[in-house]
Amino acid sequence: DATQGTSGDCRPCPCPAGATCAVVPKTQEVVCTNCPTGTTGKRCELCDDGFFGDPLGQGGPVRTCRACKCSDNIDANAVGNCNRETGECLKCIYNTAGFFCDRCKEGFYGNALATNPADKCKPCSCSPFGTVGRQTSCSQVTGQCQCLPNVSERDCSACQPGFFNLHSGNGCERCNCNPIGSTN
Amino acid sequence: TRPDVHPLPPGTHLLFSQSGRIEHIPLEGYDMNKDSAKAVLHLPEKVIIGVAYDCVDKMVYWTEITSPSISKAKIHGGEPVAVIRSDLQSPEGIAIDHLGRNMFWTDSGKDHIEVASLDGSKRRVIVDSDLVNPRAIIADPPNGNLYWSDWNREAPKIETSYMDGSNRRVLVKDDLGLPNALTYDSQSSLLCWADAGTHTIECMHPGRGDRRKIMDGIQYPFGVTSFGKNIYYTDWRRDAVVAVDRHAGRESDEFQPQKRTKLYGIVTAYAQCPSGQNYCSVN
Repeated sequence: DATQGTSGDCRPCPCPAGATCAVVPKTQEVVCTNCPTGTTGKRCELCDDGFFGDPLGQGGPVRTCRACKCSDNIDANAVGNCNRETGECLKCIYNTAGFFCDRCKEGFYGNALATNPADKCKPCSCSPFGTVGRQTSCSQVTGQCQCLPNVSERDCSACQPGFFNLHSGNGCERCNCNPIGSTN
Repeated sequence: TRPDVHPLPPGTHLLFSQSGRIEHIPLEGYDMNKDSAKAVLHLPEKVIIGVAYDCVDKMVYWTEITSPSISKAKIHGGEPVAVIRSDLQSPEGIAIDHLGRNMFWTDSGKDHIEVASLDGSKRRVIVDSDLVNPRAIIADPPNGNLYWSDWNREAPKIETSYMDGSNRRVLVKDDLGLPNALTYDSQSSLLCWADAGTHTIECMHPGRGDRRKIMDGIQYPFGVTSFGKNIYYTDWRRDAVVAVDRHAGRESDEFQPQKRTKLYGIVTAYAQCPSGQNYCSVN
Protein backbone atom coordinates (compact mmCIF):
# COMPACT_ATOMS: atom_id res chain seq x y z
CA ASP A 1 0.00 0.00 0.00
CA ALA A 2 1.84 3.04 -1.28
CA THR A 3 -0.51 5.52 0.37
CA GLN A 4 0.60 4.97 3.96
CA GLY A 5 3.66 7.17 3.68
CA THR A 6 6.11 4.85 5.38
CA SER A 7 9.29 3.34 4.02
CA GLY A 8 7.75 -0.14 4.21
CA ASP A 9 4.76 0.69 2.00
CA CYS A 10 6.10 -1.12 -1.04
CA ARG A 11 7.63 -4.52 -0.57
CA PRO A 12 9.25 -6.75 -3.15
CA CYS A 13 7.02 -9.38 -4.77
CA PRO A 14 7.43 -12.77 -3.08
CA CYS A 15 7.96 -14.26 -6.52
CA PRO A 16 10.89 -15.69 -8.46
CA ALA A 17 13.07 -13.13 -10.23
CA GLY A 18 11.31 -11.17 -12.92
CA ALA A 19 7.75 -12.05 -11.91
CA THR A 20 5.29 -9.32 -11.07
CA CYS A 21 2.62 -9.62 -8.38
CA ALA A 22 -0.69 -8.21 -7.24
CA VAL A 23 -2.70 -8.04 -4.04
CA VAL A 24 -6.15 -9.60 -3.97
CA PRO A 25 -8.26 -6.83 -2.38
CA LYS A 26 -10.68 -9.11 -0.55
CA THR A 27 -8.13 -11.33 1.11
CA GLN A 28 -4.98 -9.17 0.98
CA GLU A 29 -3.29 -12.18 -0.49
CA VAL A 30 -0.35 -11.60 -2.79
CA VAL A 31 -0.31 -13.56 -6.03
CA CYS A 32 2.43 -13.66 -8.65
CA THR A 33 1.13 -12.66 -12.04
CA ASN A 34 3.95 -13.41 -14.41
CA CYS A 35 5.66 -16.61 -13.38
CA PRO A 36 8.78 -17.85 -15.20
CA THR A 37 8.15 -20.09 -18.22
CA GLY A 38 6.91 -23.52 -17.23
CA THR A 39 5.69 -22.48 -13.79
CA THR A 40 2.42 -21.17 -12.37
CA GLY A 41 0.61 -20.86 -9.04
CA LYS A 42 0.25 -18.12 -6.44
CA ARG A 43 3.99 -18.16 -5.81
CA CYS A 44 5.08 -19.82 -9.06
CA GLU A 45 5.36 -22.98 -7.01
CA LEU A 46 3.57 -25.21 -9.53
CA CYS A 47 4.44 -26.65 -12.93
CA ASP A 48 2.36 -26.15 -16.06
CA ASP A 49 -0.04 -28.87 -17.15
CA GLY A 50 1.86 -31.82 -18.58
CA PHE A 51 4.87 -31.22 -16.31
CA PHE A 52 5.74 -32.07 -12.72
CA GLY A 53 8.21 -30.94 -10.10
CA ASP A 54 8.72 -28.65 -7.13
CA PRO A 55 10.27 -25.53 -8.69
CA LEU A 56 10.57 -23.67 -5.37
CA GLY A 57 11.61 -26.68 -3.36
CA GLN A 58 8.67 -26.32 -0.98
CA GLY A 59 8.60 -29.99 -0.08
CA GLY A 60 12.34 -30.68 -0.12
CA PRO A 61 15.06 -30.09 -2.68
CA VAL A 62 14.21 -28.03 -5.75
CA ARG A 63 12.92 -30.23 -8.59
CA THR A 64 12.67 -28.26 -11.80
CA CYS A 65 9.58 -28.89 -13.90
CA ARG A 66 9.90 -31.89 -16.21
CA ALA A 67 7.52 -33.44 -18.70
CA CYS A 68 5.27 -36.18 -17.28
CA LYS A 69 7.22 -39.44 -17.08
CA CYS A 70 4.74 -42.15 -17.94
CA SER A 71 6.64 -44.89 -19.79
CA ASP A 72 5.42 -43.64 -23.19
CA ASN A 73 1.96 -44.77 -22.11
CA ILE A 74 0.22 -41.38 -22.27
CA ASP A 75 -1.08 -39.41 -25.22
CA ALA A 76 0.39 -35.97 -25.87
CA ASN A 77 -3.00 -34.72 -27.04
CA ALA A 78 -4.56 -35.39 -23.61
CA VAL A 79 -4.72 -32.85 -20.79
CA GLY A 80 -3.90 -33.55 -17.14
CA ASN A 81 -1.56 -36.44 -17.94
CA CYS A 82 0.18 -36.35 -14.55
CA ASN A 83 -0.04 -34.81 -11.09
CA ARG A 84 1.85 -31.51 -11.27
CA GLU A 85 3.63 -32.07 -7.95
CA THR A 86 4.21 -35.80 -7.57
CA GLY A 87 4.31 -36.73 -11.24
CA GLU A 88 1.83 -39.56 -10.68
CA CYS A 89 0.49 -40.55 -14.08
CA LEU A 90 -3.25 -39.98 -14.34
CA LYS A 91 -4.11 -40.89 -17.92
CA CYS A 92 -2.39 -44.14 -18.77
CA ILE A 93 -3.34 -45.66 -22.13
CA TYR A 94 -2.75 -49.03 -23.86
CA ASN A 95 -4.42 -50.75 -20.84
CA THR A 96 -1.57 -49.75 -18.54
CA ALA A 97 -1.75 -48.44 -14.97
CA GLY A 98 0.47 -47.57 -12.03
CA PHE A 99 2.32 -44.48 -10.86
CA PHE A 100 4.37 -44.38 -14.06
CA CYS A 101 1.93 -46.34 -16.29
CA ASP A 102 4.53 -49.05 -15.86
CA ARG A 103 2.31 -52.08 -15.31
CA CYS A 104 -0.81 -53.58 -16.87
CA LYS A 105 -4.16 -52.58 -15.45
CA GLU A 106 -6.49 -55.06 -13.68
CA GLY A 107 -7.65 -57.72 -16.07
CA PHE A 108 -4.64 -57.36 -18.41
CA TYR A 109 -1.19 -58.93 -18.55
CA GLY A 110 2.06 -58.51 -20.43
CA ASN A 111 4.89 -56.00 -20.54
CA ALA A 112 3.67 -52.44 -20.10
CA LEU A 113 7.11 -51.22 -21.14
CA ALA A 114 7.22 -52.98 -24.53
CA THR A 115 7.94 -50.60 -27.39
CA ASN A 116 5.15 -51.72 -29.66
CA PRO A 117 1.66 -50.91 -28.25
CA ALA A 118 0.38 -54.23 -29.60
CA ASP A 119 2.91 -56.06 -27.42
CA LYS A 120 2.04 -54.18 -24.24
CA CYS A 121 -0.96 -55.38 -22.23
CA LYS A 122 -3.35 -58.09 -23.37
CA PRO A 123 -6.70 -58.96 -21.75
CA CYS A 124 -6.61 -61.90 -19.30
CA SER A 125 -9.86 -63.29 -20.77
CA CYS A 126 -10.07 -65.86 -17.97
CA SER A 127 -12.69 -68.52 -18.67
CA PRO A 128 -15.51 -67.84 -16.21
CA PHE A 129 -16.19 -71.57 -15.81
CA GLY A 130 -12.66 -72.60 -14.95
CA THR A 131 -11.54 -69.64 -12.86
CA VAL A 132 -11.76 -69.34 -9.09
CA GLY A 133 -14.63 -67.03 -8.17
CA ARG A 134 -15.06 -66.12 -11.85
CA GLN A 135 -12.19 -63.65 -11.42
CA THR A 136 -11.31 -61.47 -14.40
CA SER A 137 -7.74 -60.68 -13.30
CA CYS A 138 -4.64 -62.77 -13.88
CA SER A 139 -0.93 -62.79 -13.16
CA GLN A 140 0.52 -59.48 -14.40
CA VAL A 141 3.52 -61.22 -15.94
CA THR A 142 2.47 -64.67 -17.11
CA GLY A 143 -1.21 -63.99 -17.62
CA GLN A 144 -2.07 -67.15 -15.68
CA CYS A 145 -5.63 -67.05 -14.38
CA GLN A 146 -6.35 -68.72 -11.03
CA CYS A 147 -7.81 -72.07 -12.08
CA LEU A 148 -10.27 -74.30 -10.20
CA PRO A 149 -9.14 -77.87 -9.33
CA ASN A 150 -8.02 -79.99 -12.30
CA VAL A 151 -8.43 -77.09 -14.74
CA SER A 152 -5.56 -76.16 -17.04
CA GLU A 153 -4.43 -73.60 -19.62
CA ARG A 154 -3.44 -69.95 -19.03
CA ASP A 155 -7.05 -68.84 -19.21
CA CYS A 156 -8.43 -71.88 -17.30
CA SER A 157 -10.42 -72.91 -20.35
CA ALA A 158 -9.77 -76.66 -20.38
CA CYS A 159 -9.77 -79.69 -18.12
CA GLN A 160 -6.56 -81.53 -17.36
CA PRO A 161 -6.17 -84.86 -19.23
CA GLY A 162 -8.39 -87.46 -17.59
CA PHE A 163 -10.89 -84.88 -16.34
CA PHE A 164 -14.17 -83.48 -17.71
CA ASN A 165 -17.13 -81.15 -17.03
CA LEU A 166 -15.47 -77.73 -16.99
CA HIS A 167 -18.87 -76.11 -17.04
CA SER A 168 -19.75 -77.41 -13.58
CA GLY A 169 -18.18 -74.25 -12.19
CA ASN A 170 -16.49 -76.28 -9.44
CA GLY A 171 -13.52 -77.53 -11.43
CA CYS A 172 -13.21 -80.66 -13.51
CA GLU A 173 -14.21 -84.17 -12.45
CA ARG A 174 -12.22 -87.34 -12.94
CA CYS A 175 -13.35 -89.33 -16.00
CA ASN A 176 -13.35 -92.64 -14.08
CA CYS A 177 -13.19 -94.63 -17.30
CA ASN A 178 -12.77 -98.35 -16.93
CA PRO A 179 -9.14 -99.09 -17.92
CA ILE A 180 -10.17 -102.30 -19.58
CA GLY A 181 -12.72 -100.86 -21.97
CA SER A 182 -11.00 -97.53 -22.75
CA THR A 183 -8.62 -96.87 -25.64
CA ASN A 184 -6.24 -94.63 -23.70
CA THR B 1 -10.45 -3.79 -7.83
CA ARG B 2 -7.69 -6.29 -8.32
CA PRO B 3 -4.84 -4.97 -10.40
CA ASP B 4 -4.22 -8.30 -12.12
CA VAL B 5 -7.76 -8.88 -13.40
CA HIS B 6 -10.08 -6.60 -15.29
CA PRO B 7 -13.83 -6.56 -15.71
CA LEU B 8 -14.90 -6.79 -19.32
CA PRO B 9 -15.99 -3.59 -21.04
CA PRO B 10 -19.11 -3.74 -23.25
CA GLY B 11 -18.78 -5.15 -26.76
CA THR B 12 -17.87 -8.50 -28.24
CA HIS B 13 -14.81 -10.29 -26.93
CA LEU B 14 -12.84 -13.46 -27.26
CA LEU B 15 -12.37 -15.35 -24.00
CA PHE B 16 -9.68 -18.01 -23.79
CA SER B 17 -7.99 -20.01 -21.06
CA GLN B 18 -4.30 -20.21 -20.48
CA SER B 19 -3.46 -22.46 -17.54
CA GLY B 20 -4.86 -20.68 -14.45
CA ARG B 21 -6.16 -17.68 -16.31
CA ILE B 22 -9.10 -16.65 -18.44
CA GLU B 23 -8.06 -13.81 -20.71
CA HIS B 24 -10.06 -11.65 -23.03
CA ILE B 25 -9.35 -9.90 -26.30
CA PRO B 26 -11.84 -7.20 -27.33
CA LEU B 27 -13.01 -7.44 -30.95
CA GLU B 28 -13.26 -4.30 -33.05
CA GLY B 29 -15.23 -5.42 -36.02
CA TYR B 30 -13.48 -8.70 -36.71
CA ASP B 31 -10.09 -7.46 -35.58
CA MET B 32 -8.50 -8.42 -32.31
CA ASN B 33 -7.70 -5.36 -30.22
CA LYS B 34 -4.54 -6.97 -28.94
CA ASP B 35 -3.33 -3.99 -26.94
CA SER B 36 -6.42 -4.21 -24.76
CA ALA B 37 -6.13 -7.93 -24.06
CA LYS B 38 -6.25 -8.58 -20.32
CA ALA B 39 -6.95 -11.29 -17.77
CA VAL B 40 -10.59 -11.54 -16.69
CA LEU B 41 -9.91 -14.19 -14.07
CA HIS B 42 -6.76 -15.45 -12.39
CA LEU B 43 -6.95 -18.76 -10.54
CA PRO B 44 -3.24 -19.48 -10.24
CA GLU B 45 -3.58 -22.99 -8.83
CA LYS B 46 -5.97 -24.28 -11.47
CA VAL B 47 -5.70 -25.68 -14.96
CA ILE B 48 -8.67 -24.29 -16.86
CA ILE B 49 -9.56 -26.22 -20.02
CA GLY B 50 -12.96 -25.42 -21.52
CA VAL B 51 -14.66 -22.02 -21.50
CA ALA B 52 -18.24 -21.15 -22.43
CA TYR B 53 -20.23 -17.95 -22.28
CA ASP B 54 -23.79 -17.28 -21.17
CA CYS B 55 -24.90 -14.21 -23.10
CA VAL B 56 -28.01 -13.79 -20.90
CA ASP B 57 -26.37 -13.40 -17.50
CA LYS B 58 -23.03 -12.32 -18.97
CA MET B 59 -21.19 -15.09 -17.23
CA VAL B 60 -18.21 -17.17 -18.16
CA TYR B 61 -18.27 -20.89 -17.33
CA TRP B 62 -15.20 -23.09 -17.25
CA THR B 63 -13.98 -26.62 -16.61
CA GLU B 64 -10.96 -27.23 -14.41
CA ILE B 65 -8.97 -30.45 -14.07
CA THR B 66 -6.70 -30.20 -10.99
CA SER B 67 -9.62 -30.52 -8.57
CA PRO B 68 -12.11 -31.43 -11.29
CA SER B 69 -14.93 -28.89 -11.24
CA ILE B 70 -17.12 -26.56 -13.26
CA SER B 71 -17.37 -22.93 -12.13
CA LYS B 72 -18.77 -19.62 -13.28
CA ALA B 73 -18.18 -15.91 -12.73
CA LYS B 74 -19.62 -12.63 -13.98
CA ILE B 75 -17.41 -11.29 -16.73
CA HIS B 76 -17.95 -7.77 -15.50
CA GLY B 77 -16.05 -8.67 -12.39
CA GLY B 78 -17.10 -11.17 -9.79
CA GLU B 79 -15.95 -14.03 -7.65
CA PRO B 80 -15.90 -17.55 -9.07
CA VAL B 81 -18.69 -19.85 -7.91
CA ALA B 82 -18.34 -23.63 -8.27
CA VAL B 83 -21.46 -25.18 -9.79
CA ILE B 84 -20.35 -28.82 -10.19
CA ARG B 85 -17.78 -30.25 -7.81
CA SER B 86 -18.43 -33.96 -7.52
CA ASP B 87 -18.26 -36.98 -9.81
CA LEU B 88 -16.02 -35.37 -12.39
CA GLN B 89 -12.80 -36.91 -13.67
CA SER B 90 -11.54 -34.86 -16.57
CA PRO B 91 -14.12 -32.29 -17.65
CA GLU B 92 -12.99 -30.66 -20.88
CA GLY B 93 -15.40 -29.08 -23.35
CA ILE B 94 -18.35 -27.06 -22.06
CA ALA B 95 -21.30 -25.52 -23.91
CA ILE B 96 -24.14 -23.27 -22.79
CA ASP B 97 -27.75 -23.46 -23.95
CA HIS B 98 -28.66 -19.86 -23.21
CA LEU B 99 -32.29 -20.43 -24.14
CA GLY B 100 -32.97 -23.58 -22.13
CA ARG B 101 -30.60 -22.41 -19.34
CA ASN B 102 -28.59 -25.60 -19.37
CA MET B 103 -24.94 -26.50 -19.70
CA PHE B 104 -23.35 -29.52 -21.37
CA TRP B 105 -19.89 -30.91 -20.85
CA THR B 106 -17.63 -33.74 -21.96
CA ASP B 107 -15.64 -35.79 -19.47
CA SER B 108 -12.69 -37.62 -21.04
CA GLY B 109 -12.13 -39.67 -17.88
CA LYS B 110 -15.67 -40.93 -17.53
CA ASP B 111 -16.10 -40.94 -21.29
CA HIS B 112 -19.52 -39.43 -21.27
CA ILE B 113 -21.50 -36.24 -21.87
CA GLU B 114 -23.57 -34.65 -19.14
CA VAL B 115 -26.15 -31.90 -18.86
CA ALA B 116 -27.22 -29.80 -15.88
CA SER B 117 -29.06 -26.56 -15.23
CA LEU B 118 -26.80 -23.54 -15.05
CA ASP B 119 -26.97 -23.70 -11.24
CA GLY B 120 -25.74 -27.30 -11.27
CA SER B 121 -29.08 -28.91 -10.46
CA LYS B 122 -30.92 -31.49 -12.59
CA ARG B 123 -27.68 -33.15 -13.56
CA ARG B 124 -27.92 -36.11 -15.95
CA VAL B 125 -25.72 -38.20 -18.25
CA ILE B 126 -27.03 -37.96 -21.81
CA VAL B 127 -24.38 -39.88 -23.80
CA ASP B 128 -22.43 -42.72 -22.20
CA SER B 129 -21.46 -45.13 -24.96
CA ASP B 130 -18.95 -45.21 -27.82
CA LEU B 131 -16.87 -42.34 -26.50
CA VAL B 132 -13.10 -42.63 -26.08
CA ASN B 133 -11.67 -39.12 -25.92
CA PRO B 134 -14.60 -36.71 -26.03
CA ARG B 135 -13.39 -33.12 -26.05
CA ALA B 136 -15.15 -30.21 -27.79
CA ILE B 137 -18.90 -29.71 -27.34
CA ILE B 138 -21.11 -27.08 -28.93
CA ALA B 139 -24.80 -26.27 -28.52
CA ASP B 140 -27.11 -24.81 -31.16
CA PRO B 141 -30.09 -23.91 -28.98
CA PRO B 142 -32.44 -22.45 -31.64
CA ASN B 143 -32.34 -25.74 -33.55
CA GLY B 144 -32.02 -27.92 -30.47
CA ASN B 145 -28.79 -29.61 -31.57
CA LEU B 146 -25.58 -30.64 -29.85
CA TYR B 147 -22.28 -31.31 -31.59
CA TRP B 148 -19.21 -32.90 -30.10
CA SER B 149 -15.85 -34.30 -31.16
CA ASP B 150 -13.98 -37.41 -30.03
CA TRP B 151 -10.25 -37.51 -30.85
CA ASN B 152 -9.97 -41.28 -30.34
CA ARG B 153 -6.83 -42.07 -32.37
CA GLU B 154 -8.33 -45.32 -33.65
CA ALA B 155 -11.58 -43.75 -34.85
CA PRO B 156 -11.90 -39.97 -34.48
CA LYS B 157 -15.36 -38.58 -35.15
CA ILE B 158 -17.71 -35.62 -34.91
CA GLU B 159 -21.20 -36.43 -33.72
CA THR B 160 -24.53 -34.71 -33.23
CA SER B 161 -27.71 -35.33 -31.27
CA TYR B 162 -30.71 -33.50 -29.92
CA MET B 163 -30.14 -31.71 -26.65
CA ASP B 164 -31.35 -34.67 -24.60
CA GLY B 165 -28.87 -37.02 -26.27
CA SER B 166 -31.48 -38.65 -28.51
CA ASN B 167 -31.21 -38.94 -32.30
CA ARG B 168 -27.45 -39.41 -32.04
CA ARG B 169 -25.63 -39.60 -35.40
CA VAL B 170 -22.03 -39.55 -36.64
CA LEU B 171 -21.56 -36.48 -38.84
CA VAL B 172 -17.92 -36.88 -39.83
CA LYS B 173 -15.58 -39.84 -39.49
CA ASP B 174 -13.41 -39.88 -42.61
CA ASP B 175 -10.13 -37.99 -42.94
CA LEU B 176 -10.04 -36.83 -39.36
CA GLY B 177 -6.96 -36.86 -37.12
CA LEU B 178 -7.31 -35.15 -33.77
CA PRO B 179 -10.47 -33.05 -33.98
CA ASN B 180 -9.83 -31.10 -30.78
CA ALA B 181 -11.95 -28.07 -31.57
CA LEU B 182 -15.48 -27.32 -32.78
CA THR B 183 -17.50 -24.17 -33.35
CA TYR B 184 -20.96 -23.43 -34.74
CA ASP B 185 -21.86 -20.11 -36.30
CA SER B 186 -25.62 -19.64 -36.07
CA GLN B 187 -25.61 -16.85 -38.66
CA SER B 188 -24.20 -19.01 -41.43
CA SER B 189 -25.33 -22.36 -39.94
CA LEU B 190 -21.76 -23.58 -40.37
CA LEU B 191 -20.13 -26.17 -38.15
CA CYS B 192 -16.36 -25.78 -38.30
CA TRP B 193 -13.60 -27.80 -36.71
CA ALA B 194 -9.86 -27.52 -36.24
CA ASP B 195 -7.84 -30.72 -36.39
CA ALA B 196 -4.42 -31.13 -34.76
CA GLY B 197 -3.82 -34.38 -36.64
CA THR B 198 -4.61 -33.30 -40.21
CA HIS B 199 -3.58 -29.71 -39.42
CA THR B 200 -6.65 -28.30 -41.15
CA ILE B 201 -9.72 -26.20 -40.46
CA GLU B 202 -12.84 -27.51 -42.18
CA CYS B 203 -16.51 -26.50 -42.24
CA MET B 204 -19.83 -28.02 -43.22
CA HIS B 205 -23.54 -27.33 -43.01
CA PRO B 206 -24.63 -30.14 -40.70
CA GLY B 207 -27.88 -30.63 -42.60
CA ARG B 208 -26.33 -30.67 -46.05
CA GLY B 209 -23.07 -32.44 -45.36
CA ASP B 210 -21.16 -30.25 -47.83
CA ARG B 211 -17.77 -30.44 -46.21
CA ARG B 212 -14.98 -28.12 -47.33
CA LYS B 213 -11.48 -27.21 -46.27
CA ILE B 214 -10.94 -23.66 -45.07
CA MET B 215 -7.25 -23.82 -44.36
CA ASP B 216 -4.45 -26.33 -44.07
CA GLY B 217 -0.95 -26.30 -42.68
CA ILE B 218 -2.04 -25.02 -39.30
CA GLN B 219 0.06 -26.26 -36.38
CA TYR B 220 -1.70 -27.59 -33.27
CA PRO B 221 -5.22 -26.32 -32.64
CA PHE B 222 -6.86 -26.99 -29.27
CA GLY B 223 -9.89 -24.67 -29.20
CA VAL B 224 -11.80 -22.77 -31.88
CA THR B 225 -14.57 -20.17 -32.02
CA SER B 226 -16.23 -18.21 -34.80
CA PHE B 227 -17.44 -14.66 -35.21
CA GLY B 228 -18.81 -13.49 -38.54
CA LYS B 229 -16.34 -14.19 -41.30
CA ASN B 230 -13.58 -15.06 -38.88
CA ILE B 231 -12.48 -18.18 -37.07
CA TYR B 232 -10.18 -17.89 -34.08
CA TYR B 233 -8.26 -20.84 -32.73
CA THR B 234 -5.81 -21.47 -29.89
CA ASP B 235 -2.59 -23.22 -30.86
CA TRP B 236 -0.43 -25.39 -28.59
CA ARG B 237 2.73 -24.97 -30.64
CA ARG B 238 2.49 -21.23 -31.13
CA ASP B 239 1.01 -20.49 -27.66
CA ALA B 240 -1.20 -18.03 -29.50
CA VAL B 241 -4.71 -17.15 -30.64
CA VAL B 242 -4.78 -17.19 -34.44
CA ALA B 243 -7.43 -15.38 -36.50
CA VAL B 244 -8.42 -16.93 -39.85
CA ASP B 245 -10.56 -15.26 -42.48
CA ARG B 246 -13.01 -18.00 -43.44
CA HIS B 247 -13.77 -16.54 -46.87
CA ALA B 248 -10.19 -15.84 -47.85
CA GLY B 249 -8.98 -19.10 -46.27
CA ARG B 250 -5.91 -17.54 -44.76
CA GLU B 251 -4.53 -16.35 -41.46
CA SER B 252 -5.25 -12.70 -40.79
CA ASP B 253 -3.78 -12.07 -37.35
CA GLU B 254 -2.17 -13.60 -34.30
CA PHE B 255 -2.18 -12.76 -30.61
CA GLN B 256 0.56 -14.19 -28.44
CA PRO B 257 0.17 -13.54 -24.71
CA GLN B 258 3.26 -12.50 -22.83
CA LYS B 259 3.30 -15.78 -20.96
CA ARG B 260 4.53 -18.69 -23.04
CA THR B 261 2.41 -21.66 -22.08
CA LYS B 262 -0.41 -23.69 -23.60
CA LEU B 263 -3.71 -22.04 -24.51
CA TYR B 264 -6.84 -24.18 -24.18
CA GLY B 265 -10.50 -23.34 -24.80
CA ILE B 266 -11.72 -20.23 -26.60
CA VAL B 267 -15.22 -18.77 -26.95
CA THR B 268 -16.85 -15.67 -28.37
CA ALA B 269 -18.56 -13.50 -25.74
CA TYR B 270 -21.23 -11.75 -27.79
CA ALA B 271 -22.35 -8.27 -26.81
CA GLN B 272 -25.92 -9.52 -27.31
CA CYS B 273 -27.39 -12.97 -27.49
CA PRO B 274 -27.83 -14.21 -31.05
CA SER B 275 -31.48 -14.03 -32.07
CA GLY B 276 -33.61 -17.16 -32.15
CA GLN B 277 -35.77 -19.04 -29.75
CA ASN B 278 -36.16 -22.59 -28.69
CA TYR B 279 -39.56 -24.21 -28.40
CA CYS B 280 -38.63 -25.81 -25.10
CA SER B 281 -37.92 -22.41 -23.58
CA VAL B 282 -41.37 -21.17 -24.54
CA ASN B 283 -43.53 -23.83 -22.98
